[in-house]
Amino acid sequence: MMDDILPAELPLFAVWVIKAVVIFGSLISAAGITTLAERKVSAWIQYRIGPNRVGPFGLLQPLADGVKFIFKEELVPDGANRLMFRLAPMITAAPAMMCIAVIPFAGEVVIGNYNLGNLSITDLSVSVLYVGALTGLGIYGIILGGWSSNSKFSLMGAMRASAQMVSYELTLLLAILSVVLLAGSLDLRAIAESQASSAEGGIGVWNMFLQPVAFVLFIIAMFAETNRHPFDFAECEPELVGGFHTEYSSMKFALFFLGEYCAIIVMCCLVTTFFLGGYDVPFWDSAPWFIQLASFVAKAACFIFLFLWVRWTLPRFRYDQLMGLGWKVMLPLALVNVTVTGAVVSFGWSPLITPVLAVAALIPGVILFARSNPGEASLTGHALSEEGSAS
Amino acid sequence: MVIVKRKELSFWERLYLPEVFQGLSITLRAMFRKNVTRQYPEQKLEVNEVTRGQPRLAVNADDTIRCVSCGLCEAACPAYAITIDGQETDRFIEREPERFEIDMLRCILCGFCEEACPKDAILMSDELELADFSREALVYDLEKLKRPVSALQPRLDYIYKLSNRWNSSSSSS
Repeated sequence: MMDDILPAELPLFAVWVIKAVVIFGSLISAAGITTLAERKVSAWIQYRIGPNRVGPFGLLQPLADGVKFIFKEELVPDGANRLMFRLAPMITAAPAMMCIAVIPFAGEVVIGNYNLGNLSITDLSVSVLYVGALTGLGIYGIILGGWSSNSKFSLMGAMRASAQMVSYELTLLLAILSVVLLAGSLDLRAIAESQASSAEGGIGVWNMFLQPVAFVLFIIAMFAETNRHPFDFAECEPELVGGFHTEYSSMKFALFFLGEYCAIIVMCCLVTTFFLGGYDVPFWDSAPWFIQLASFVAKAACFIFLFLWVRWTLPRFRYDQLMGLGWKVMLPLALVNVTVTGAVVSFGWSPLITPVLAVAALIPGVILFARSNPGEASLTGHALSEEGSAS
Repeated sequence: MVIVKRKELSFWERLYLPEVFQGLSITLRAMFRKNVTRQYPEQKLEVNEVTRGQPRLAVNADDTIRCVSCGLCEAACPAYAITIDGQETDRFIEREPERFEIDMLRCILCGFCEEACPKDAILMSDELELADFSREALVYDLEKLKRPVSALQPRLDYIYKLSNRWNSSSSSS
């Protein structure tokens, strides 16, 4: 009966549209759920209950927030660059959302008689470059928003955010580079599959264990890259009111918000793909696509939880500490790690010795660090020129 | 000038990550602790005779008001919330209030009226909720303030207990 109505094979265009709609819709809903999760986790950490009035367990809270945002007044401050002011939220949100297009969520999807292909909007052969370029673009929205608001706080927040993102993007991309070296491909799906035991010549070990240093660096850099605590200098409330979005209200503010949460979700998907084997299900190579999808979502959800957990645990860094950490600690570590990985790959050694070599390469640095005098020149901050200069 | 001596950090503290994990473990444990939220409209505050809520006027079992409109509470009130007009009555006490108003928006729930009252007529009840749509509605008149003395008896017993304690301790010292 159904066979009469439906064509035997879906046209490629229809498959694309279905996948794009489903994946994009899931991303937006996931961003909404993340805002609720943020409030819930913050409540639990502070011995509270959190939102529980709208719907069961407060599940409709994101919807209520959205309705509230729509009914708020849209303000454009005096002297603002109106075009840029309106454009900035879109420029922030769009790249974060576009990244989701290349994330491989699962293998081949087969529903009934239909084979919808791999579960990702598209499989680019250079998807790592695509993701790197788009995460770099996200900063444009923030700096345009801060500059066009004609407000000192906004501009300062935007300046800090751009400096921070430029510094940490290097580490982020170098951490990705060592993974790319191991996998020998710039394709996210190929990187994910190279970690599965079913892969050709694969050893079935997640990059998390092969590249522990890159893993830690990536996690720290992704906090900075998404402007989250403890690196949220773009919007640190006590110093900058609201940072780059001080002057924004209504849906324009909501779009910044959405962009931030989409960026978090995308980063969690990326770390899952790069370091946790993507949709790989441990010890079950022939898992059906929905199990693979569940495995991917579970891994990504753990990282989203980590984002929220860290936000409500750690205090904000000082700005010079942030820069010191980025340039004096993380960048050298990432470079050493890439060098070691490159050596392992080019000499054709087993990737299993990478973690040992990478950690061994850190030992001189750690010794230097231990012998340095924290009072004079800390690795993570400027020296205090005068003891108690803050009188 | 204040010279702040900074604590010298140990090697592990300067590595950051161990301290970060320590902090994370603290917040993780906090997540499973019992929460302290009181779901207010459903879950009311626990009240007892010690609760100093809004003042109410005690009415005897035979439906006569205890107040003799002496004006002591009016004088004692630091917020000028009480307004009393007295009138004559045929009862033994000879006077009773014709008008007794407490402006609940001015009342600061200090309990001075209760202490001043020589007839145990005005007592701090355990009623705490105060919300309405207009200011006029929150000026409580005689009818809104009257409560049967049985409802206020625990409070009455409590203030007698208190004054007994004060009296006995002052006599002993």
